[in-house]
Amino acid sequence: MNRASAHIHGWLLLLPAAVLLAAFTHFPAFATLWHSFLSTPKGARPAVWVGLDNYQGMLEDPVFWQVLGNNLWFALGTIPASIALALLMAVWVNGKLAGRGFLRMAYFTPTVLPMIAVANIWLFFYTPTYGLLEQVTGTLGLPSHNWLGSQSTALACLIVVTIWKEAGFFMIFYLAALQSISPSLAEAAAIEGAGRWYYFRRVLFPLLMPTTLFVLVNAVINSFRLVDHIVVMTRGGPDNASALLLFYIYEVAFKYWDSAYASALTMVLLALLGAAALLQFAFLEKRTHYQ
Amino acid sequence: MISARNPMQPGGWGRALETTGAWLLALLWILPLAYAFWTAFHPPEFSTRFELLAPLTLQNFANAWAAAPFARYFINTMVLVALILAAQLVLCTLAAYAFARYNFFGRDVLFMLVLVQLMVMPDVLIVENYRSMAALDLTDTILAIGLPYMASAFGIFLLRQTFKTVPRELDDAARVEGASSLQVLWKVYVPLARPVYVAFGLVSVSHHWNNFLWPLIVTNSVNSRPLTVGLQVFSSTDQGIDWSIITAATLMTSGPLLVAFLLFQRQFVQSFMRAGIR
Amino acid sequence: MSAIRLHDVTKAWGTARAVDGVSFEAAAGGFAVLLGPSGCGKSTTLRLIAGLETVSAGRVLIGGTDVTELPPARRGIAMVFQSYALFPHLSVAENILFGLKVRGVPATERGERLRSTADLLGLSALLERKPSQLSGGQQQRVALGRAIIARAPVCLMDEPLSNLDAQLRHDMRREIRALQRKLGITMVYVTHDQTEAMSMADQVVLMNNGRIEQNATPAELYARPATAFAARFVGTPPMNVVSLPAITGEGLLLGLRPEHIRLGTEGVAATVATVEYLGADSIVACRVGETLLNARLPGRATFATGAAVRLAWDRDHTHLFNAADGRRVEPASAPATLAA
Ligand SMILES: Nc1ncnc2c1ncn2[C@@H]1O[C@H](COP(=O)(O)OP(=O)(O)O)[C@@H](O)[C@H]1O
Ligand SMILES: [Mg+2]
Repeated sequence: MNRASAHIHGWLLLLPAAVLLAAFTHFPAFATLWHSFLSTPKGARPAVWVGLDNYQGMLEDPVFWQVLGNNLWFALGTIPASIALALLMAVWVNGKLAGRGFLRMAYFTPTVLPMIAVANIWLFFYTPTYGLLEQVTGTLGLPSHNWLGSQSTALACLIVVTIWKEAGFFMIFYLAALQSISPSLAEAAAIEGAGRWYYFRRVLFPLLMPTTLFVLVNAVINSFRLVDHIVVMTRGGPDNASALLLFYIYEVAFKYWDSAYASALTMVLLALLGAAALLQFAFLEKRTHYQ
Repeated sequence: MISARNPMQPGGWGRALETTGAWLLALLWILPLAYAFWTAFHPPEFSTRFELLAPLTLQNFANAWAAAPFARYFINTMVLVALILAAQLVLCTLAAYAFARYNFFGRDVLFMLVLVQLMVMPDVLIVENYRSMAALDLTDTILAIGLPYMASAFGIFLLRQTFKTVPRELDDAARVEGASSLQVLWKVYVPLARPVYVAFGLVSVSHHWNNFLWPLIVTNSVNSRPLTVGLQVFSSTDQGIDWSIITAATLMTSGPLLVAFLLFQRQFVQSFMRAGIR
Repeated sequence: MSAIRLHDVTKAWGTARAVDGVSFEAAAGGFAVLLGPSGCGKSTTLRLIAGLETVSAGRVLIGGTDVTELPPARRGIAMVFQSYALFPHLSVAENILFGLKVRGVPATERGERLRSTADLLGLSALLERKPSQLSGGQQQRVALGRAIIARAPVCLMDEPLSNLDAQLRHDMRREIRALQRKLGITMVYVTHDQTEAMSMADQVVLMNNGRIEQNATPAELYARPATAFAARFVGTPPMNVVSLPAITGEGLLLGLRPEHIRLGTEGVAATVATVEYLGADSIVACRVGETLLNARLPGRATFATGAAVRLAWDRDHTHLFNAADGRRVEPASAPATLAA
């Protein structure tokens, strides 16, 4: 095959995927940027250039700040907990505990279920007076509480659901990493007199660091991407107490039909995801370090 | 018989303690699902009353099935999932082959551009993609739900990694026999990557079976709604508080995936692992 | 210094016995080699000594103490793994010091021991590197360093040289042997390579199918193999063990080392089948009836294929084995026609 035809073949093979990628990833990303500088067309009035007005409005929008704050708390609430649980689960499932087949199934099942379906189940779980949670707290003699309907607990309820849904998924990555670690490392450590905890701290955990970083980046992305359960469980309420950024974008765009403002908000989301990407690239070097 | 001992496995009391902990966590983890099963398979008056001898029933499923066009939703979801998977397999295979084995102008830059999608997913570009679908007059079609996902950066990446591990000699040997590039792809690379295709297929199907926000935005009729959106429309409108029926519908929509998962657990877990290692 | 004793040790997985009633003693300060074909239970035996596997039956004693129930860390042993088992995220220095840190040895003493160990093994310039930045031979040295820095009286090695190229393997053999002598360690060394065993060992424990075939010095193993298996396993090329009833009578196998066969004008009639020239010597395969016998002759042998020759050997160099169970039979009790 000569060089020119290699170029042409390569391009031809790539073309179909490239067209779709450009049309539904790159073009919309740039279109978002462009539209964030225009006004929302209303009736006969077409969109006009408004410069940074949308961004200005965003800075003055208390809901935006609240939603951003919520998203931060949501990330802080879900990420460390689900990663720690995932690691614990993986260590357990990788070991020789009794019934590990069942354990693995139990931990992983939430991953294969639709978020929308599990949100329904959890909604019932949290329901005032009838819900299982209320029944448990009732038996314990605690006062009744509207878990999803109160500003102080709505976001926490969503955090719990997310941890439950994601921990088993992240467990898989740890499990794969654990299985690739040679058992003779554990044996060498045991001969040197290292206990289980010492081995975990000084050998296993550092060796799992690349996996942890990978899972971390995924968890960060998910914390900005997953809003299905909000739609089902709280609709962002009460008073935006449980709204996250993407959910707010969805509301602005498809409930208030303010597409220009939604574009500006999307740019913020893209910037956050870009930061996550940079994080991953910065650590990508580290990933290959041990190999 | 005493079996091999891994010195880093717990022993004695530690082992008992850890086993208990692991089981407690597992029970906690399936509790919501067990709760859903209880409610769905018992008459409504038992939905929050736990009595061992409560009568079992399938009435909730029958009611749910009758209350909304779930048959149509099932068909829509299956068409959607099949459409996306078929398109992904073809597009990603071709693109991955190009990236793995062709040295064409701009390859590395293009590859970076593909990887952008791992961060900037269609899931977050809802505003502009909706605008595009409206402009193409595709809103409220199954095609519109699937289009943004058909060129999967994840699939391209995964297959490229796999194709790169195929020994050059095999490729050369096939070419010496007179096979064309596409024949080599089809006869050598695709068969060797089979486990990866299975893994990618499982991950893709479960992802798109479960996808919700984008389908919610781009559909607005029974004709195109997938199960997830159908379930949401169903449970948020008329049913109000009848939890027995809602949980029955919920289990119904997750049923096929759940059954497939329980039957092919090992393959599922291994596929997710394979797809995750990259 | 600690002698190692195994009493009737058995290790079974299900019904398969990887190690089956093994008893031997490795002398304190000696170099014992576990030799045998792949899958014969060498590694399992070593891991039973280390405590990485639990015995199904029998006892293990180290330095007179019964360690059968003790965990690896309390047996006073060090071990070098076939894969080296270096911690990939730790530097050379940290790898070597791993055990001392676990055991809480003070930092100043650690530093001194690290320096002397690194000097001994020629690792001083590499201490900051990661294992992935080292060659195979260097990794091997780091594994050795980790084993000797703890000054454990016993060192166990499982095919430590099998991942090195031939030249390096040869050098490392001497080095390990010298190190073991210098430090006075009791060594148990696993290999499937009989040259390695013969050149390094004070004592060779030859295993087959989970049992001991022979436990002897290399010289004894060479001169008086206890079984036909032992006879065939040792030597390059190995001993001819053949059935020639015309010479030995019924029910016996004749064992002759190739280097002990002479080609000349008297002795047993044979024809030359092949000649293989190896440089310093040649291997001539000769056919006696239907039976092939290898003879090793110095220099370049110039026989044509099919040439008629006569084979001769000394009575002292004749080995006899019972055809039924492979056990050695002393020539004294056998017919007198053995020299040819
Ligand atoms: N963990 C194990 N489980 C079951 N069988 C094993 C295990 N380890 C080793 N074996 C079996 O025991 C026999 C001896 O193995 P090993 O001691 O590793 O042999 P060697 O080191 O001499 O090659 C082999 O047949 C092997 O298959
Ligand atoms: Mg072995």
